[in-house]
This record gives sequence, C-alpha cells and structure tokens, in this order.
Amino acid sequence: MIGGTVMKKTTVSLGATFGRLMTALNYGLIILLCLSIILPTLNILALSLNVGSDAAKGGIYLWPRIFTLDNFKEVFKQSNIVNAFFISIFRTVLGTLLSVILTAMAAYALKSKTMPGQKQLTFFVFFTMLFSGGLIPYYILLKELHLTNSIWVYIIPALYSVWNMMIMRSFFDQTPEGLEEAARIDGCSDLGIFFRIILPTSKPVIATISLFNAVGHWNDWFTGSFYVRDQGMKPLSTVLQEMLTKQQALTDTLMSSTGAIQMQMLDKIQVTGTSLKMATIIIVVTPIVIVYPFLQKYFAKGVMIGSMKE
Amino acid sequence: MARNTSVMKSPLTEGYSSSRQGSRLWKRILSHYQLYLLLLPCIVFFIIFSYIPMAGLVLAFKEYQFNKGIFGSPWIGLTYFEMFFQDPQSLKLIQNTLVISGMKVFLAMPFPILLAIMFNEVRNSKLRNIFQGIVYLPHFFSWVIVVGMMQRILAPDTGLVNQVIEWFGGDGSKFFLMEESAFHPIMFWSYVWKDIGWNSIIYYAAIVGINPALYEAAKIDGANKWRQMWHITLPGIRSTIIVLFILSLGNILSAGFDQIYLLKTPGNMNVSEILDTYIIYMGLESGQFGFGTAIGMMQGIVGLILVLTVNKVAKKWFQSSLW
Repeated sequence: MIGGTVMKKTTVSLGATFGRLMTALNYGLIILLCLSIILPTLNILALSLNVGSDAAKGGIYLWPRIFTLDNFKEVFKQSNIVNAFFISIFRTVLGTLLSVILTAMAAYALKSKTMPGQKQLTFFVFFTMLFSGGLIPYYILLKELHLTNSIWVYIIPALYSVWNMMIMRSFFDQTPEGLEEAARIDGCSDLGIFFRIILPTSKPVIATISLFNAVGHWNDWFTGSFYVRDQGMKPLSTVLQEMLTKQQALTDTLMSSTGAIQMQMLDKIQVTGTSLKMATIIIVVTPIVIVYPFLQKYFAKGVMIGSMKE
Repeated sequence: MARNTSVMKSPLTEGYSSSRQGSRLWKRILSHYQLYLLLLPCIVFFIIFSYIPMAGLVLAFKEYQFNKGIFGSPWIGLTYFEMFFQDPQSLKLIQNTLVISGMKVFLAMPFPILLAIMFNEVRNSKLRNIFQGIVYLPHFFSWVIVVGMMQRILAPDTGLVNQVIEWFGGDGSKFFLMEESAFHPIMFWSYVWKDIGWNSIIYYAAIVGINPALYEAAKIDGANKWRQMWHITLPGIRSTIIVLFILSLGNILSAGFDQIYLLKTPGNMNVSEILDTYIIYMGLESGQFGFGTAIGMMQGIVGLILVLTVNKVAKKWFQSSLW
C-alpha cells in the first residue's frame, strides 16, 4: 500500500518535471524562431547605418560601428529612386482603394442566395484560381490592351483577387440575417444594404484585405520588371530588385582576378554599393513595419474567418 | 417583394407552363438587378484578364507572328511539345521543379502545423500575441527584400553567417549563394522561415476551434499531452490540413517563381533553373512566345488535373474537399 502511493507520487512529479521541461522547450524554440527574424533584420539595419567602406571590412553585427546617415542621403539623391518611391505610393494607395471596394462589391453580390445564377457565377470566378492561360498569353493581352509600359499596368490587372473575394464573402456571410431583413422591410435596396449595413459592420475584414492589397502593391516587383520598360515608371521594389541583380554582377567581377584592385577602390569611397542596397532594403521595409502593428489585431481574425468553410 | 415568389410556391402554381416559369425567372433576375450591377465589373474583369488568356493558349500550337496576332498566325501543331520533350535539358528542368516544389509541399508542410500546436501551448495570451506578431512579419516582406538580406548575411567573408563560422574557427570564405550544394538548404529554410508563421494562422484557428470538452474527457481517461495531440488535436485539424494540401498541389509544377528567380545565380543554375524561370527566359526574354505558351500550358493542365483528382480522392476517403 505505502509503496504504491510513493510510486504514484514519483510518477506524478516525474510527469510534472517532464511537462515543465516541455514548456521550456516550447518557449525556447519559439524564441529561437523570433530571434531568427529579429537578428538578421537588425544586422541589415546596422549595416545601413554604418559607413559603407568601413562595413566592407566586416565585423558589423547588431549595431553600427561608425554611425552615419549618408547611405540614406545618397539613396534619396538618386532621382530614379525618389521617383520610384512616388510610383510605389501612387499604386499602393489608388490600387488598394479601388481593389478593396470592387472586391467587396463582388463578394457581396456572390453571397446572395436568391440571385439566379449565383452558383454558376461563383464557379466562373473560382475557376480562374485553378487554371490560367499562363504568362505568355497574359503578356500578349497586356500588350494588346496597351497596358505594357503604362502606369495602369500596376492598377488595372490587380483590381480583383479571387482569394480576397472568398475571404470577404465568408465574412459577409456572418452578418446576422435579421439585420438585412429588417433593412429590406424598411425599404432598403441591395445597394443600400451593402453600403449602410455590410460595409460598416465589416471593418475587420476590410482592414485585412486592405493590408493584403497594400502590401501586395508595395512589394510587387514582377510587373515593373517584365511588363514595363521605361526606367521612370518602375516602382521601388523593381528598382531594388534591379540593384540586387546588378550587385550580384558586381560581386562576380570582384571575385575575378581584378578583385584586389577593386577592393582598394571600394576603400576610397565611403558609400558603397552594398551600403546603398542595405539602405534601400530598410526604406522598403519600414512602411510595412510601421503599419503592421496597427493591423495585426485585424488580420489574424480576417484570415481565420476566411478560412472557415460554410 | 418580388424575390419571395419562389417561396410562395403553392400546389396550384406548380404545374404552370414553362413560359410562365420563364417569366418568373426573369422577374427574379430583374429584382436582383443591383447585385448584377455590383458583379458586372468583376465578370468583365475575369473575362478579359483570365478567360481571354486561356483562349490565348492556342498559341501553343501556332507560330506567333507579331503582325498577324494570335489568331492570324499559322498553325504548327505539336511542334513545340516535341521540341520540349526532345531537348534533354527539359528533363532537368522538370526534375528541378519537382524537387523544389516537392520539398515545399511535402517537407515544409509539418512546420506550420507544429508551430500552431506550439502556440496553442503558450498559455500567456499577451506573450503569445507578441510571438505571433513577430513570426507573421516575414510574410509581409517580399522575396526581393528577403533575398537582398540573404545576399548580405550569406556573403563571403563579411556576411553574418561566415563571420560566425570564422568565430568558431571554421572557413568563413564560402560564397553560399554561388554554391550548387547550398542551394536546396537555402531555398528550403528561407521558404520555411518566411511563411511558417503565416501558414500557422489557419491551423491555429482550427486548433482553437476544437471543443475543449474533448481534452477534458481525455485527461480524465488519463491521456497525456502526446496522446491528446495525436488523438484530438491532429484529427481536429485534419480537414484543414487536407484542404490546404490540395490547394498547394495545384502549384506542384510552379515551384514559386519569385524566390527561385532571385536566388538563381550562375553558380547554382544547374539545380535552380525551373519551368517558370525557363518560360520567362524563352518567352519574354528571347521572344519565343509559342514555345513559352506550350510549357505554361502543360504546367497549368497538370496542376488542374492534380487538384481535381486529389480533391475527389479526399472527398471519398476523408470527406473533406474544396467544394
């Protein structure tokens, strides 16, 4: 009897220790993952704030050794980067506004259960997510529409996204039926219900989709890279992408036999290609990091609701 | 009011002639005209930007000539497909694509599920919110930013990783992005790193949605954490896992263009050239539109067939599906 209780006690405490160990391991792994995100970002920030020629010697980890803002000043002296910055802002603001309102309108219409053809129309839209004509026919279409080499190529082909529409529709589906019915009895039309009831009660999903859209616009480099030739029309992300590719070409030549001479030249210039690149990365990332905390409480909710199947 | 006609169907009106029913349908359509109005730009958009390019797939069987357009260009049958399959390089492309997307679809899949379970074990909700906020963040960085950061951190001699290696007494001069053997690990772990948090959201939502009474019952039956995880958590999120898996299968022949295009260097070309980058190279950069279309079409069709098949199988075996 006595032996039995002792045995039981030890297993319980063993189990408790094991549980505590698991909790510690759990926290440890999560913190490790967080560090793997924070530390590299800090490293890039430190490099962007350090004198370029000094950073080229190595040894910069989490804070700058010789602090300077020259890299950022130099970036903003480049007229093409300033221009690209404004193009990015233009497409992000206008593109997001148009896309969110149009997507919400379509999502609301597709939610109706009484509209004839609702199922067929939903499939018509949904199918485009499963199959597409591929890149080349799409490119030829843009060319035929005179959208290549135009600023509207950033806005018009990105007006709708099936995925965002599905998320919005699931959210709208959760507005209480009674609310809509009451409005209908009061003589409210479909449009009235959409603008006066659905939109005001759907702030979380509107915020979420706006965030997705804005980030998508801000980050899109592909369109500018392959559909736009005019250097003055490229957004910031494309400019950064071209810097990276060029930078790689530069390091390639550095690797070759003339490396030593080039390295000496680099030492004379304070702002290097690398430090410029780091500053540009920080400039691209900053708006996202600033907006992010304000929208974080919304988007997790938005994604969750969107993922629930009716 | 008109929208209620179908609800008020009485035995008397049911046997009416089809013309009467046609006019009733017409009435219902009219009563919804505002909804159609809201939907109209959307339908026009998808006709133009999705369905017209699908019609443009005929280009795969034609020799594209700029002055004649897609429909005026002469037919050449299956020439491009023969060209593609006779070129020994194509096999390499397909292999590279499948290896990369296979790693992403199969090997990377457990990580977000694991993370969601781990988040669920963090009882302090404030702390959990902070963790989640940090972990979701890389999803919002574009691949341009991530690859830009990696170029620096993985750079030879002065990059963070090489400096740490040197610090521990290793060889710190490795140019990781130029090395063929480093490509797959870099590609895989940067992919996991970037989207592990984001992909965990849906799983986390599914776990939170599991009935707590199930866990209580299991505890009373003496099930430990592992058994609870195995017998309650995982079955509870099974349908989520299946749906996401089906969706990801559609991309099995497009291994994620942005990341691979940006990570591709002369040093790792042999393993990093995939169908998508090849289409860009042949189609957009070399102007071989028909050939590029043909490859894109094969990708699209294989993806569609895979999604449809797996969806059907999942419906039959697991009762979960996309539609």
